[in-house]
Amino acid sequence: MPSDTNSSSSSLSSDSEFHSQNSNQDLNPNLNPDSIDLSLDAIENQLVSISMSSHPETAPFDLEEDQSEPTEQLTTMIAQMNGEIGEEVVVDEIEEEEEDKSTMKAETSRLFKESSSEVWRNNSEEEEAMSPSSSGYAGERGSSGDAATVGNEIDDDDDDDAEDEIDEAWNYGVSESQEQWAPQKRNLDEDDTSISWRKRKKHFFILSHSGKPIYSRYGDEHKLAGFSATLQAIISFVENGYIACSSSFVIISSFCFPIRLYICLLHCFLFRGDRVKLVRAGKHQVVFLVKGPIYLVCISCTEEPYESLRGQLELLYGQMILILTKSVNRCFEKDPKFDMTHLLGGTDVVFSSLIHSFSWNPSTFLHAYTCLPLAYATRQAAGLILQDTADSGVLFAILMCRHKVISLVSAQKASLHPDDVLLLSNFVMSSESFRTSESFSPICLPRYNPMAFLYAYVHYFNVDTYLLLLTTSSDAFFHLKDCRIRIESVLLKSNVLSEVQRSMVDGGMRVEDLSIEPASIMGTMSSHLGQAGPAADSPGRIREAFFGIGGPAGLWHFMYRSINLDQYVSSEFSSPINSLRQQKRLYRAYQKFFSSMHDKGNGPHKTQFRRDENYVLLCWVTEEFELYAAFDPLAEKALAIKTCNRVRQWVKAVENDIFLLGASPFSW
Amino acid sequence: MANMGHNNLNAKLVLLGDMGAGKSSLVIRFVKGQFLEFQESTIGAAFFSQTVAVNNATVKFEIWDTAGQERYHSLAPMYYRGAAAAIIVYDISSTDSFARAKKWVQELQKQGNPNMVMALAGNKADLEDKRKVTAEEARVYAEENGLFFVETSAKTAVNVNEIFYEIAKRLPRAQPTQNPAGMVLVDRPAEGSRTASCCS
Ligand SMILES: Nc1nc2c(ncn2[C@@H]2O[C@H](COP(=O)(O)OP(=O)(O)O)[C@@H](O)[C@H]2O)c(=O)[nH]1
Ligand SMILES: [Mg+2]
Repeated sequence: MPSDTNSSSSSLSSDSEFHSQNSNQDLNPNLNPDSIDLSLDAIENQLVSISMSSHPETAPFDLEEDQSEPTEQLTTMIAQMNGEIGEEVVVDEIEEEEEDKSTMKAETSRLFKESSSEVWRNNSEEEEAMSPSSSGYAGERGSSGDAATVGNEIDDDDDDDAEDEIDEAWNYGVSESQEQWAPQKRNLDEDDTSISWRKRKKHFFILSHSGKPIYSRYGDEHKLAGFSATLQAIISFVENGYIACSSSFVIISSFCFPIRLYICLLHCFLFRGDRVKLVRAGKHQVVFLVKGPIYLVCISCTEEPYESLRGQLELLYGQMILILTKSVNRCFEKDPKFDMTHLLGGTDVVFSSLIHSFSWNPSTFLHAYTCLPLAYATRQAAGLILQDTADSGVLFAILMCRHKVISLVSAQKASLHPDDVLLLSNFVMSSESFRTSESFSPICLPRYNPMAFLYAYVHYFNVDTYLLLLTTSSDAFFHLKDCRIRIESVLLKSNVLSEVQRSMVDGGMRVEDLSIEPASIMGTMSSHLGQAGPAADSPGRIREAFFGIGGPAGLWHFMYRSINLDQYVSSEFSSPINSLRQQKRLYRAYQKFFSSMHDKGNGPHKTQFRRDENYVLLCWVTEEFELYAAFDPLAEKALAIKTCNRVRQWVKAVENDIFLLGASPFSW
Repeated sequence: MANMGHNNLNAKLVLLGDMGAGKSSLVIRFVKGQFLEFQESTIGAAFFSQTVAVNNATVKFEIWDTAGQERYHSLAPMYYRGAAAAIIVYDISSTDSFARAKKWVQELQKQGNPNMVMALAGNKADLEDKRKVTAEEARVYAEENGLFFVETSAKTAVNVNEIFYEIAKRLPRAQPTQNPAGMVLVDRPAEGSRTASCCS
């Protein structure tokens, strides 16, 4: 696109500039000599060639077909700030090893032969029907497997109820019924033989190293025992070094339950895991995370970057630690066949709500929390009274409104990691029982101390606003209850609770309120974080008038993460992205953008500009902040850059109201 | 009530039993007069309080509704330590839950306060057609172990208030000297005038 070639007139800030490069250089991954074709046919050809003892590394490989989606073709990559030519971050790429793989080959084919009959024994007839030959994989060629998965996967996060949640969670709107927080129930009648189970877009499993199922997102984990055993067999290969991943995970794809997965793994072995960063083919990726005796697996065809999926498994593990502490490992030392499902009784909803937040809550990949917008004085009043309790032996005192922090303080030297904030708020919000009455529950903060329980006093002031007081003392309930009574009376007296309600109605930053004129931005600081004006008075009507427009220069949305504060702020959704589907797509685009910005050591200053048929996406990373912005796909680049500068100034101007600033000694 | 100032007792009461037996439902029926068909699992323990008047006195129950999940088992003493009373709940349609109730009784007999008033509640009495545990069986067990037994239904409210009143009556009252540990009943007249529930 010619308009993208230059942005000379605009600069993002004094210390940074875009050095535009036309990125119409051919980024077609198929031309990448290092890429590997992991389409099913290719894999099987590989396996054949392996068994023939040829040299697989000489075989021609090309990358997966997904890369050539129209969206990808339209991608425009511009420029690193330091003047380097922008490199397309082709994550879907693995490098070949030069060294001889013959031993490995022999090993894997032997293993494959040995286990093929055993491993599949538990699987359905359907699977066997697809593989007429006894060796399991030879008959798998062709599209029968793909037909089952391609096309109409069940993507829960597109389901209606799920979308309500996205809506509710992203927007500051008036509070609706609390039921929205209850994610959809798992489909207990499903098992790995059901078509619907196989079509799910994103599976999560937790299992033990002996293959005992611990958690499955869909279906009853007990009915999935056969599948778990399969995964376990695979993982044990991983552990035995056939995939020698130092980081203890590997990603594979071109997956079909479960034989294709197995084939893919075998394929990976040949390329030596420690060099395999990401292997994808077809629609599926499989990510493993091994944590001592506990294995976590994600099987997904959502196109999310590998770093994101790995991060999600880390969070899932963290959530489990929050419920049980890491001392659960000891149960496995005593009895390797230990069945952990009992220990997690009643927590399905905690996991499913976390998994659901992977598709709407930016905290899950930004590793930052977000604050409810509040006048500085209001937040300070809340912070002061919380600080009081922290001085009286409370380790952490956290006041939250849904997933947004109102204020939090910690006792000296203690610090709270944003991931712990996420896991804690997910735990509390997803468990309906906390709303019924004040509670006192053991919980573990995985980033604070994964080995020990803390005790959490939980109390809801109203449907959305809740207080968490964490302590190390199991006898502290009545003390904490007294603290809460004091906190509550102060919050009421100083109108914090009513301000919280108001903020939820008013919402956060709106791109429509962004002024492109430098003078007015600083001048008008209304309670609505934007320009005083008609928009603030009658948002409903005005937004209608803005329909299809969004903010200046076609700005539709932005997300700003302060690196020092570990906090982010994201704008309200403007009308061009008012559908939940669009919001989710934008979320995914950000997520992808985020990991592409983070997966290469390009130094702290980076910018990216991408245009596709959905948006122009702009990302700007400095040592201080990360800004992600989405524009109309027809937005002019120079203007978009200018607008990002304005957004940055705007955020700076209202930072007292949107962030929790140095209220207490944090040092994360 | 003339002697109100003198006969106000605070009594810690703990509900124990298998997950799903209906502990939360019983408390919520007692405290709020409600019943939810889909009561969510308790996490940790929920705290309620409710005051009842018996024989010229009021007893303010401080109720710990525990989760009943295995992961919290080792933490259970935290909730039953110092309790004046316990209601051990099972589900009459589940023999497993009855077996688990017996385990709780054993544990309380070993570790709990020796003067604790213990009640065995066979809950979900409305599910007569799904009954697996006979009332007779439970009654015999209760007698042998010095518990008082009643079948309840949080759903229909049958025997719910009754079980709490019965406990209130049985609490040894105004005899702090006989409880040297001082943990069974804590007389806190200052709080006695507060109304029923502190947590709405
Ligand atoms: N039919 C019937 N169902 C009940 C009764 N008490 C509880 N339940 C149901 O049993 C389930 C578990 O109840 P809950 O109070 O959460 O059990 P808890 O885990 O022991 O606290 C819920 O779905 C309740 O609605 C009852 O008396 N009769
Ligand atoms: Mg309960």
